[in-house]
Amino acid sequence: MKRLWMGVKRRIKGAGELLAKIWAHKQGKVGLIMVSLLVLVAIFAPYIAPYDPYDVSQRTTKGLPPSREHLLGTTINTGQDIFSMLVYGTRVSLLVGVTSGVCIAFVGSLLGVAAGYLGGAVDNLIMRIVDIMLVIPTLPLVIVLTNVLGRDFWIIILIFVALGWTGLARTIRSLVLVLKNTNYVKAAELAGASRWQIMTRHILPGTSHLVIMSTALSSAGIMVAEAGLSFLGLGDPTAISWGKMLAEAQSGGALLFGAWWWILAPGLGIFLAVFGFMRLGLVLEEIANPRMKRTSSVYKLFRSLDSSYIEEVFRSMDDYTKIGVPEATYGGGQSHGTGFEA
Amino acid sequence: MKLSYVIKRVLYSLFVFAVVITLNFFIPRIGVADPAERYYPPQGNMSDIEYEIVKQLTREQYGFHVSTWQQYLNYLKGLARGDLGTSFRPGSPKVMDLITERLPWTLVLSVSTMLIGLIVGVLFGVVAAVKRGRWQDTLLLNASTVMVALPSFFIALILSFYLGFEWEIFPAYTDSTMVSEFAWTWEGISRVARNAALPVMSMMVGSIISYAQGTRNAVIAVTNEDFVLTARAKGLKTSTIRYKHILRNSLLPIVTSLGMSISGLIGGQVVIEQVFNWQGMGTLFLEANQTNDYPLMMGIMLLLSGFTIFAILVTDLIYVLLDPRVTVGDKR
Repeated sequence: MKRLWMGVKRRIKGAGELLAKIWAHKQGKVGLIMVSLLVLVAIFAPYIAPYDPYDVSQRTTKGLPPSREHLLGTTINTGQDIFSMLVYGTRVSLLVGVTSGVCIAFVGSLLGVAAGYLGGAVDNLIMRIVDIMLVIPTLPLVIVLTNVLGRDFWIIILIFVALGWTGLARTIRSLVLVLKNTNYVKAAELAGASRWQIMTRHILPGTSHLVIMSTALSSAGIMVAEAGLSFLGLGDPTAISWGKMLAEAQSGGALLFGAWWWILAPGLGIFLAVFGFMRLGLVLEEIANPRMKRTSSVYKLFRSLDSSYIEEVFRSMDDYTKIGVPEATYGGGQSHGTGFEA
Repeated sequence: MKLSYVIKRVLYSLFVFAVVITLNFFIPRIGVADPAERYYPPQGNMSDIEYEIVKQLTREQYGFHVSTWQQYLNYLKGLARGDLGTSFRPGSPKVMDLITERLPWTLVLSVSTMLIGLIVGVLFGVVAAVKRGRWQDTLLLNASTVMVALPSFFIALILSFYLGFEWEIFPAYTDSTMVSEFAWTWEGISRVARNAALPVMSMMVGSIISYAQGTRNAVIAVTNEDFVLTARAKGLKTSTIRYKHILRNSLLPIVTSLGMSISGLIGGQVVIEQVFNWQGMGTLFLEANQTNDYPLMMGIMLLLSGFTIFAILVTDLIYVLLDPRVTVGDKR
């Protein structure tokens, strides 16, 4: 019991230190503020939203431009308050994004560590699955799967996780190939630690910076993907989401009648959320390793390592750079984008 | 050594393709015992017997009356002949015909987006790499973080709002007659160009920035290589090193990645085609999704995946053949 408590205390202390480091970073501060603001808005949506976002019966308030009463105006066809819709939309975006991001981090790091450390058949199997998923176009596959499995909220998250773990698993695997040759892992092996213990106690912590960073980045990617899916009318039909707001704006005549506020509001919502998470992710990357700056993580990785292990990394890098090109074209500097960005 | 690698690589691609084909066959069959039910979901106004009859007819028309295993074999046989199956649409058109009708229009958008992105992006990327850390570079970094956070369909809506509706510079929606009245005349082509302007512009910015970022990173990576240092030590001119040593080596991966990126581009283009009602594969796919036309959906998926596999294979082989530094490890 005491040991458990100490563990918890250490975790809390670690998390506090991490937050302090992000806060000390100029851009990290921006990201942290944006993300915490979003979380607060999502939690207290009913108290923040001045009107009922689902209320489509307000015939008197159709198509009003932004004013003191309706901060972001109202919709043309139903007279809904756009600011209230935006506030409620935060919930869907954040919930889908963060839940999928955390699950992806979990699945991706687990499979990545297993592939890298166990090697052999396990590695082969996992990497073959990664290869196969890489060649299937993501957005169409998501659409087919929502068609087959349904468009329920949790099913959508499940689909995003099922398709999103590959990039992270690949990156983690390359890192693990290096870590498994380090002296402390060798020492643990000689001391008779089981493979499970080595993976969870010794190797997994070494990948934590990548995992934390990728949670932020893949959350951002999933948010964009979710917006795209609901924009196509394929998201959860019962929820208000930013993508769906944009679709309604287009079909409801916002373009035709010059209702710019109806388009700008949800777009800016998506932008701020994704931007905040990305900033956070990039800053976490910098904090995790100050020496790595602004090139792809794996490349950065092997530059900061002991030269005797470089060859192994380079070999895994080799097919990484060759096959990983689509990833590089998406996220700019991030090598493990989820590939969902439409 | 090289030949065995080539053979291995080709076989591996075939293996991946076989798995993709199998997935393509089984995904629409998830959760239903009878594929005819996907084609014809139960209707309220129909008695059980009528529904059974309709299903039976459907089964026979689409070959669902044999065992799943036999259906799979038939599917493979069809693929071997280049037959992607029969669409569920009225009149039962062949999937292949529907796709070939729309494919050129999709390629108009994706290829022009890619070319513009490549040319402008590479120029910008080289500038950013040369001026590393100065404002050009910072601009690129900031632009790329902003762009990733802006979904392309939002940009499309904004462009369509201002350039299409408010200022009426370009058509905000594609002419419905553009495709049917197309002819290889100056007018026909310029009409397509005018209609394609907004869709291409909405995808172009992201494409430019990603190529620029890729070029920048590649150029910087090559600049740090030993052979550049050697060239410098030999006293070669900076411009010679830049163009002959650095650029040439850093552009290879970017140019070879084109093939791979195009099918990703088409996949992502679905949303843009929807915004502008562009009659390409993206809208075809969405139509298929709305009518539960699985053979058509899976046909498009298979085509895109097959293309990616092929592009990856070609890229890999080009690397092996061109770049003597790529040594072939035993692992794959």
